[in-house]
Amino acid sequence: MTLDQILLLGSIIVPALTSALLFAGIGGGDDWAKKLAYIGFGFPFIAGIVLFFNFDGSNGGYCFEIFHPRMGLQELKITFHLGLNGVSSPLFAMAGVVGLAAGLTAIRSGAERLRLYLALLLVMQSGLMGLFASIDLFFYYLFHEFALIPTFIMIGLWGGRDRRSIALEITIYLTLGALLSLGGLVALNVMVDAEKFDFPSLSHALANTEMLESTQIKIFGLLLIGFGILVALFPFHTWAAKGYEAAPTSVSMLHAGVLKKFGLYGLIQIAAPLLPEGALAWSPYLLWLALGNVLLVGFVTIAQTNLKSMVGYGSVMHMGYCFLGLAVCSSLGAGSAVMLMVAHGLSVALMFLLSTYIQKRSGTFEMDEMGGLATKTPVLACFFVAASLATIGLPGFGNFWGEFGVFLSLGENPDHRLFLVLAALGIIISAIFGLRAVAKIFFGTGSDELIKHEKENPISDLKPAEIIPAGIILSALLFLGLWPRGVSDRIDQEIGTRYEKIDFAALSQFTPACCLPNAEGVGLDNNQTSYDSLQKSLPVKPISDH
Amino acid sequence: METVAFSILLLPLLSALITLLFLRKSGNIASLLSVATSGGILVFALYLIFNGENEVFTWQTTWMKMAGWELSFGFLIDAPARLLLFVVSFVGFLIHVFSLGYMADDEAKSRYFGGLSIFMFSMIGITVADNLIMIFVFWELVGFSSYLLIAHYLTTDEAAQASKKAFIVNRVGDFGFLIGIVLTYWAFGTVNLLELADLVDFDPSLISTFLGLALACGFIGKSAQFPLHVWLPDAMAGPTPVSALIHAATMVAAGIYLLLRIDFMFTEHALSLLAILGAGMGLYAGFCALVQRDIKKILAYSTLSQLGYMAAAFGLGMPGIALFHLMTHAFFKALMFLGSGSVIHACHHEQDIFKYGGLRKKMPITAITFLIGVLAICGVNFLSGYFSKDAILLTAYNVNMPVFILLYAGAILTALYMFRLYFITFEGLARSDKAAHAHENGALMTGPLLLLSILAVVGGYHSLYPFAIVESILPDIELVAAMPNHLWMIVLGTFAWIVGAITARNFYGRVGDVDPLSEKFPTFFSLCKSKLFFDQMYGFYIKKIQDPMARFLEVMELLFISGLMVRGSAGVAALLGMLGKVCYIGKIHAYTFWFVAGTIGFLAYASGIFGN
Repeated sequence: MTLDQILLLGSIIVPALTSALLFAGIGGGDDWAKKLAYIGFGFPFIAGIVLFFNFDGSNGGYCFEIFHPRMGLQELKITFHLGLNGVSSPLFAMAGVVGLAAGLTAIRSGAERLRLYLALLLVMQSGLMGLFASIDLFFYYLFHEFALIPTFIMIGLWGGRDRRSIALEITIYLTLGALLSLGGLVALNVMVDAEKFDFPSLSHALANTEMLESTQIKIFGLLLIGFGILVALFPFHTWAAKGYEAAPTSVSMLHAGVLKKFGLYGLIQIAAPLLPEGALAWSPYLLWLALGNVLLVGFVTIAQTNLKSMVGYGSVMHMGYCFLGLAVCSSLGAGSAVMLMVAHGLSVALMFLLSTYIQKRSGTFEMDEMGGLATKTPVLACFFVAASLATIGLPGFGNFWGEFGVFLSLGENPDHRLFLVLAALGIIISAIFGLRAVAKIFFGTGSDELIKHEKENPISDLKPAEIIPAGIILSALLFLGLWPRGVSDRIDQEIGTRYEKIDFAALSQFTPACCLPNAEGVGLDNNQTSYDSLQKSLPVKPISDH
Repeated sequence: METVAFSILLLPLLSALITLLFLRKSGNIASLLSVATSGGILVFALYLIFNGENEVFTWQTTWMKMAGWELSFGFLIDAPARLLLFVVSFVGFLIHVFSLGYMADDEAKSRYFGGLSIFMFSMIGITVADNLIMIFVFWELVGFSSYLLIAHYLTTDEAAQASKKAFIVNRVGDFGFLIGIVLTYWAFGTVNLLELADLVDFDPSLISTFLGLALACGFIGKSAQFPLHVWLPDAMAGPTPVSALIHAATMVAAGIYLLLRIDFMFTEHALSLLAILGAGMGLYAGFCALVQRDIKKILAYSTLSQLGYMAAAFGLGMPGIALFHLMTHAFFKALMFLGSGSVIHACHHEQDIFKYGGLRKKMPITAITFLIGVLAICGVNFLSGYFSKDAILLTAYNVNMPVFILLYAGAILTALYMFRLYFITFEGLARSDKAAHAHENGALMTGPLLLLSILAVVGGYHSLYPFAIVESILPDIELVAAMPNHLWMIVLGTFAWIVGAITARNFYGRVGDVDPLSEKFPTFFSLCKSKLFFDQMYGFYIKKIQDPMARFLEVMELLFISGLMVRGSAGVAALLGMLGKVCYIGKIHAYTFWFVAGTIGFLAYASGIFGN
């Protein structure tokens, strides 16, 4: 084993091990628990950063592979197979960064039963690192469950208002989503006669045997809805804002920032390249649903007065762009969606973190009961303005490149240009709610409630221990924004080699025109011709090595 | 060369970063650092201008690559870029120096000077960018620095509202600009300015009116043109030197520079639309300026009007003249804004001109330099504004009569409202204690005023400039020089400012606390004061349409998705559970009944009663 492989494996094992020690009650005392937690969150962070910079994806494919055929169920083609490729490597690093920030926040949170809290959070962290490091699809799913289940418990135990009922709702909703996507994955396993249950083998097998378009559409549909629920695709998004509002900060950070990317990662990395015709058939519907995320959820975000639910809804809104990038069915769209996923994970986590800092000072999440904080807490104001502007896509931060790439990909196909115009309205919508929040919280003079609160609880600026987690995330966002190549080259090598085998451009000529809203596209005649062209241009093998 | 180009770009960024990280509490060091930085920028800019040997300098590297789309980070330093570099670095340096005096007592000095450095970084980025996406990046960043600086006095509600408004309105413009860029990329396969120009040169049918106008949305937002002009007057809530630098001399003029960079993308129709829009703005903003009481708002509307002149010049097919007017305007408008800053500083932040009066005797340098600015903007013969403005008027006269009429009426109006401002502020008697006790400011503030007033006088003589700076405007100047009706235009131009000045003298020579116009022509006055209800319309949209719609959608979401779909399905499951529960009543005869019923049902099914 090379050092890199040890780091990869360790990023999963170390948090799991520390968590086990915490559960077992080794050492006793919260000080020990904290020290162990530093190790548990620090190791994945270091591993993520080191592996990100050591990654050499110039040939495409996986690096640092670890393969154990004995672990797993060979009868079901399941094997233990870890490794990183161009898409997972940035997300893996992002999981490490957000994990450290969330961990540091949790360590300082002073929560009751801190030991249990940290132990559960470490299980989550271990699962998150594992899901991006897995090549085998079974383990990919397994690690996701590892990360998901602690969230339910943690919301139920340490959550805010209505935590029990919200925990229950989220559990049912997300388990349903996970179940549907599991169904899709099982269907993939059964329908494709591959040696192993991982992307390269499946893709290799599909290159030799063609899968019927109707089968592709069914499996992709299962995966899309299952994963869609997990990513809060409109109209399956209502759990998200509610859940994040109730969840403790570290959980919101890890869930909204990292765990939610699981579904999109599955769709972009696995589902769309394996089932291109399924993806194309669903694309028109997905475009409208994603637009629902951007516009409808965007408007709902404008109406929020509670800071934390505004951040929650805002994060749901911006996931719409990722779905748009996927729905375009091009390498540019998919690559930009990954870029946005990385940046979005960082910026959302930062926003949740800062909202909690604000709440600690003002005693409330209601934005109308704040005001004028900038003069009292200039450093916090500085961070919050930066995070808000990153969220609304200001150049200089990573989100801009992702959003811009998605817009660019929407412009390629004339049929998608209506979506380009509607989706671009999102840049105005997010500016409205982002800057309103800044003005309400930090500018002007303090509200009466705040002044009353301040009399009993003097307001102080951020302490160094609070600056560190926020600073780590902000630096990562700036790195992405100023030197996008650092990430985009890796994504490009992978998505490029993965999607270039699929001639989406040829396939997309027969996107059902009936689902597209432009005037020329509607009408029987056009449907007929598009159907004809479908028959003519249908390639014999949708996936071929050319 | 690229080292210098990188240095000029990164120097202000570095300075802002150092200020942010280390100098937050040492405002004096931060201000000196920022001023030194702007001095460094000036030196580098002069190096770039004069060592380029009047050639086009390009350099690029890959910034981002994704699936065949390659974005370069590149420099394009050609003749227009050199001129704007000169204006930005020179005016920028003077305004930095002025700020040292103006902001001496401010509590948040390091935030202010850090913001100025970020602005210089972004503005230079726009100037030297070689492709549309890179322009867009810095375009948003100037918007951000403008936001930051408008919000400088952040405890006031005015600043909080104005900064938000400026950013969001600019975003509306950027929305169109963004779509324009995306469509340009897919139509041409590149966004590099030089390659685009070559492609259009090769096949002029590639351009379309729609594409040009989509790109021009960026200009409309940033230069605050109709219908997105509402943010600029509000932006005066920022410190006065910021208004001078960002909202008069450079950033708002960047819109014109953008048009110039992509002038080949415009069809005839798009150009004539821009000309009419610009000329209309020239007149409209003049009427608005006529009834304002706030000294900065008068200047803001005057900026809108002058930007309209530049847009008209561009629309008439004279981008060089637009750039020429951009340069002279930067000098005299920065001069007047700094002059107003000097007055505001002396009168303890009083901005109502009817509370001034008689300041000429108390602040002679400010008054005289301000008067020079007024004369220059009115186009008084042989001052800087005369050359650039008359070139625009002459072009309009020869090319497009309706545009000329609008612009000419605007010129008379300019003289009227500018002399009104001058007479009410500097002549007559002091009308408040603050004005009565005003003193001239120190050399840090009067120095830049004197230097700018020299440029406001001689800035129009293009032969005084080195060729490297004015290269881009010479061809158009020669075109205008060859046009007929020169003498006639001199008469008309002179007539315009003299009429305006005399009317203002008679009307506003002796005023009290009330605007004489509101007493003599109340209807006209209130019509101008209403600014044609644009602010009310947007306010109505936000309060009565956007926000209620947001709340409506929130309720709908709660009702239908959260309620009906999610809770509803949970309810159905619960209902089924309750129905099932009914069967389990815990009595043996009930279970026997169900057992018998089940057996009968099974037998019936097995015997094929329900069909096969």
